[in-house]
Amino acid sequence: MKLQHYLGGLEGLDPISLETRVFVEPWEERIFGIHTAMMALSPQLDLEATPSTFNTEWTWADLRKGAEAMNPFDYFRFRYYEKWLGGISEYFVAKGYISQADLDARTAAFLSSSAALPMGGDVAVDARVRKYLMTGDDPRRERPVPPLFAVGNAVRVADPKSVGHTRLPGHLRNKVGLIDSVYPDAYTYLCDTGVDGVGRAMPVYCVKFDPEDLWPGNTETNFTFYADLFEAYLEPAATLRNL
Amino acid sequence: MDRFEYSRDREATNAARARALEALLIEKGVITSETVDKIMAIFATEMGPFNGAKLVAKAWVDPAFKILLAQDTMAAVEQMNFATKGAGAEGEHMKAAVNTPEVHNLIICTLCSCYPWPILGLPPYWYKDPSFRARAAREPRKVLGEFGLDVDPGKEIKTWDSSAHIRWFVVPERPAGTDGFSEEQLAALVTPESMMGVAIVKPPGA
Repeated sequence: MKLQHYLGGLEGLDPISLETRVFVEPWEERIFGIHTAMMALSPQLDLEATPSTFNTEWTWADLRKGAEAMNPFDYFRFRYYEKWLGGISEYFVAKGYISQADLDARTAAFLSSSAALPMGGDVAVDARVRKYLMTGDDPRRERPVPPLFAVGNAVRVADPKSVGHTRLPGHLRNKVGLIDSVYPDAYTYLCDTGVDGVGRAMPVYCVKFDPEDLWPGNTETNFTFYADLFEAYLEPAATLRNL
Repeated sequence: MDRFEYSRDREATNAARARALEALLIEKGVITSETVDKIMAIFATEMGPFNGAKLVAKAWVDPAFKILLAQDTMAAVEQMNFATKGAGAEGEHMKAAVNTPEVHNLIICTLCSCYPWPILGLPPYWYKDPSFRARAAREPRKVLGEFGLDVDPGKEIKTWDSSAHIRWFVVPERPAGTDGFSEEQLAALVTPESMMGVAIVKPPGA
């Protein structure tokens, strides 16, 4: 069990932060921009090739895997973009684009003097980044098979083995809900999560839960919880797997 | 405890490391010296909450558009002539949850920070905060109270957890005192917080 997958409903936390800024330090914009450029230049996308030397896959799934692999105490200790900075730096070193020694030396140099950034690069790189932001990366595909469930069906959320990455919120595992809507067609996920079950094109449902079933005696009234769930995470509610 | 106040050493090291990474990536030909600035310019002018505010304002003055926005959100978005048209990164499939006198909608992402970029831009810190993500799932009324929004106990709260491809947003209710307002005047009242459900749109001057 990874705490990062089980945030929903966790108790004992602080009052809510009312911070409405997107970035609280100027450097956060830079790491956000680098991540977005990596997604845009990632070679599996159906976009025109550019002179960029970036030739390894990077999607949200890679960023999320990094955050989900962290020691959970560190996950809470680091601010949002600090996790990005750590994960993305590690990726560029691990893939051999840069060395840790170079990164450390440059960091030390920038700490002692704020030299200008180097200049250069091909405009085609930035054109592709813009194209990605404007068009996105649509996961919608034709349905290989009809959906297993229809609106109103009771479903039990599966409890697959915990692996590196999932799109199944932990607080919904083994809970019963009702299909509220069936999204048209089928949807891929950014990577194959293995025994967790998502990746290939499959139907996605909006499932309605009674919070009393999720947190008995410990939630609020006149409140309904909805979650979008891939079909691999659902089974007919009549299946009593654990009995 | 303020989670956003760290020692200046920590921030200085983060800033230097981010700059070092960007410098090395430019030198290695991964990105250009313009890449990050151009991305930030797109979020400042083409993909941001100013788009969502226009959608909401149009829904307030045009009942047929409001119905379309609720039933086929992407078809409604396509009519708006945004730079991203009916697409855009993190907005390939967006869905509007429309507030009514009976229902207040709240959008969360318990696994990460899914957010409808083309119409709302990038998520504010409160949305990305693990405490919000955890607590809004189980005790939304209490959480909304901390935002200064007391939802009538008789009003249903619907919380939408974005864990698949849909990027959700809220169409807040039109505030009183805005009769005769133009779409532009109405859009100026709409905040990102109201479009994720942690605030309502206040009457002008309130």
